[in-house]
Amino acid sequence: MAKTTSFCKVILQLALFCGLLWLCNLWVNHAGWSIPGSVIGLGILVFLLATRVLPVRAVQAGSTWLLGELLLFFIPPVVSILKYQMLIREDGLMILASVVLGTMMVLTGTAWVVDRVFTLEQRLNERRLLESGGHV
Amino acid sequence: MSGDCWSQAAMSDSLLALFSLAATVAFYYLTKLAYQRKRVVWRAPILVAPLAVIALVMGLRIPLDDYFHYTHLLVMMLGPATIAFAVPIYQQRGIIRRYPVTLVIGVLTGLLLGLLSSWLLVRLFPLPVELANSMLVRSVSTPFAMEAASTFGGVPDITAMLVLITGITGMVLCEPVFRVVRIRTSLAKGVALGASAHGAGTAKARELGNEEGVIASLTMIFTGIAMVMGAPLFAHVLG
Repeated sequence: MAKTTSFCKVILQLALFCGLLWLCNLWVNHAGWSIPGSVIGLGILVFLLATRVLPVRAVQAGSTWLLGELLLFFIPPVVSILKYQMLIREDGLMILASVVLGTMMVLTGTAWVVDRVFTLEQRLNERRLLESGGHV
Repeated sequence: MSGDCWSQAAMSDSLLALFSLAATVAFYYLTKLAYQRKRVVWRAPILVAPLAVIALVMGLRIPLDDYFHYTHLLVMMLGPATIAFAVPIYQQRGIIRRYPVTLVIGVLTGLLLGLLSSWLLVRLFPLPVELANSMLVRSVSTPFAMEAASTFGGVPDITAMLVLITGITGMVLCEPVFRVVRIRTSLAKGVALGASAHGAGTAKARELGNEEGVIASLTMIFTGIAMVMGAPLFAHVLG
């Protein structure tokens, strides 16, 4: 019983997400913007949640499901590499090498920079905490 | 007579299409279950599920048109999924307020390094132009990457595959890389994983700790949004 209600909740909220996307796509097409409707929809939903026009529980279950099953939605595009078998056969190793090297560069660089910035920000937060609550 | 043959062929085509959808969903949930039992990288659904489905399509020689007939409905869910990212942004606003500088710097560094590393590497390894263009957006989450791919002159399908390989690479390499570069704060690990390896990196960060997982997912979302919004500008500069 509880399972059926939560299933219905997910379906209903999915319809809500799809409806919002549809409206945003209409709007974007009409206005001729280059930003995709889905990103506009994301902005609108954050705004609705932040202003408490929409309670989180109205979209929580649907959001959890959509984000939890993200991999399922992009299995088909990955299958379409079968269309590009020649490409993979010819350049497969080079593709792999550049992705692995590139990912290592992003991983190393971002971690190194953020490591320094975060240490700084944490020190600032501690000082702010000391200043505001120091006399208690 | 020939009409009969035709209707029979049409029926088997739509059956094949239905079977493709059912098999994709079934393989996905089976690999997910298997991973929950034993969490080792080579059992991760991001690796096993696409490989299993590709093997099935190749083994049964399912025509790709039939395969995509219904499964494209799954791909259409990437749009609503993008909107769904609003909920974690709202719920984690506390973390955003606590570490705004770390997040902004992390997102910018990850985004620029992602673009620059791909741009440099495709000059080092000569790849066909549409492949090189698809490579640029590989470090952001699939819904954003596929959206931004065409702005750079890339092919969304190829991008999806590159995004996947990127995620697996990040998951496998993060621990040795962090050890070599001596990353001290766990939050930096979270940001780096979210910025370089999107969803797979976020899952890995969640294993490191709760706050790391949260900051990884926020970094992933904001890097994706920034990539889509900045795509026309970046394409202009790099093109």
